Amino acid sequence: MSAVAVLSPAEWETLWLSLQVSLAATAAVAGPGVALGWLLARREFPGKLLLDTLVHLPLVLTPVVVGYLLLLTFGRSGPLGPLLEALGIEVAFTTLGAVLAAAVVALPLVVRSVRTAVELVDPGLEDAAAVLGAGPLRRFRTVTLPLAAPGVVAGLTLGFARSLGEFGATITLAGSIAGETRTLPLAIFQGTQVPGGDGAALRLTVVSVLLSAAALLASELVVRRLRRGAGGGQT
Amino acid sequence: MSGLEIRALVQRGGFDLDLDLRLGRGATGVFGPSGAGKSTLLHAIAGLLPAEQLRVAVDGEVLVDAAAGVSPPPHQRRVGLVFQDHRLFPHLSIARNLRYGESAGGGVDLDEVVDLLDLGELLERLPRDCSGGLRQRVAIGRALLAAPRLLLLDEPLSSLDRGLKLQVLPFLRRVQERFGLPTLMVSHDLSDLLALTDELLLVNGGRAAGQGDLPSIAADQGAVELLAGSGLSFSLPGRMARRDGTGLGWVELASRAGEGLGDPGCCEVACGEVTAEIGDEVEVILGPADIVLAVPPMDARLSLTNHLLGTVERITRTAARCLVQVDCGLEASVLAEVTERAVERLELAPGVPVVALFKAQAARARGLGAQRPGPAR
Repeated sequence: MSAVAVLSPAEWETLWLSLQVSLAATAAVAGPGVALGWLLARREFPGKLLLDTLVHLPLVLTPVVVGYLLLLTFGRSGPLGPLLEALGIEVAFTTLGAVLAAAVVALPLVVRSVRTAVELVDPGLEDAAAVLGAGPLRRFRTVTLPLAAPGVVAGLTLGFARSLGEFGATITLAGSIAGETRTLPLAIFQGTQVPGGDGAALRLTVVSVLLSAAALLASELVVRRLRRGAGGGQT
Repeated sequence: MSGLEIRALVQRGGFDLDLDLRLGRGATGVFGPSGAGKSTLLHAIAGLLPAEQLRVAVDGEVLVDAAAGVSPPPHQRRVGLVFQDHRLFPHLSIARNLRYGESAGGGVDLDEVVDLLDLGELLERLPRDCSGGLRQRVAIGRALLAAPRLLLLDEPLSSLDRGLKLQVLPFLRRVQERFGLPTLMVSHDLSDLLALTDELLLVNGGRAAGQGDLPSIAADQGAVELLAGSGLSFSLPGRMARRDGTGLGWVELASRAGEGLGDPGCCEVACGEVTAEIGDEVEVILGPADIVLAVPPMDARLSLTNHLLGTVERITRTAARCLVQVDCGLEASVLAEVTERAVERLELAPGVPVVALFKAQAARARGLGAQRPGPAR
């Protein structure tokens, strides 16, 4: 078991890459996730059901399909290919692609969690803030967001954990390039496919479990703190 | 033009609220059965409900005139609204709740509001650590600090029981006296409105059904019919004089200036329920159905404690009953509800001397002073 305790430089690199990709994906979906969650919770508009379905599609589609659709969209021959190429941005088979794949599968989890949290905030409090002179942005920033914060944090944690575990979309869009797109799940899979790779697979599995558990624990602690601050509801 | 002008048309799912009002500069009590459109009116004025037509002007200053393109969103209306359920922000301290809408240069000072509403010791607390009465006081203070041009109170007392109500009602009086803001207050308790407002507006089925002070409303047949169904009450101002050993509180009623009452003993009445301290300014709340009228001379001996001598001012007849307004030389008229048969039998008519009788148990004396914040039971 001593082999489990120490990671090789390549495994450290995998861990570091995974963290970077997952954090970047979580950061990327935080803004849109909160905005979409609020929109779906608070606004009625034509096409709401369509938007809702589109956002949640990655949750039910197999990730390989998500990855392939992303490849078709953002790849060189895709509709966005020429534009991205002109800007010097390459998505397919790059770290950016890994981030994009992770972000797209993480988004619905963030949106769902934010939406539920916002729905639980009493709209009457937003009305009260409006009558007190607060415009829409200030109402959101000072009332809705703080009261929905536990749900937002929980959603972002889920999104982070989902990004960390993302496999199918990543391998389809970004491939499995060591040091660039080979994140923990891909490295673990790789380990199981090559002779003598069992030790690495086991070590990285332990790392994955610890990382995910730590993320959940940290999120739970933050959520508890926020709940205490928020007065435990609107009594 | 001085005072409050409101033109409102709100159509929502088969319900029409259609009002065109000229109200006084002071406080107006909005009264009517539930579903009459009282809250709808306040929410439309504040901009929280869409209105088909809306014009609101205070002393000639137009706050909203949708037809003329002046229809600011709620946060730019400068209309204060206090909700039934306080709606304090649960994650903010009392101080931060108070300051939430604080208007720079609005002329309302935080310290003054804190002092007026006696909130000094709560500032660092969270709303959940305050009682219902205190929370409602904070909500009132919060609305005041936003320096509104018009204050709307939507059933501010109805979520509170009688004891807690007394932690808020005197403070609302103080706010009225200090700020004198044009105010619309909705309540289903007429005695609350009589204690806090100068004028009543009756609303029924989305239309105005009467307007004026209680005596003028009591003279309107349609208004009386509406009021009778919603709990008509009236109040007599006075001062808490003493308590006796049997649990009764004795209130010296305030007589009209310059007019003697003849019999000094007559202006003291016993009340079965008292929420005030000796010396407090109080109001005695009575229901017209609890008043018995008799024509002097009275030779029968009665168990009733309270009798007030007066003359009939006016009789308002409705389908089911007659409302007799009796002038007893007090600051307010006594209202008695009797049957048509009784009016005929006693030959009641304006100018006829009568005695108004009521049991002490029917009378409730309520303190209006704000010397002490807690219920003085």
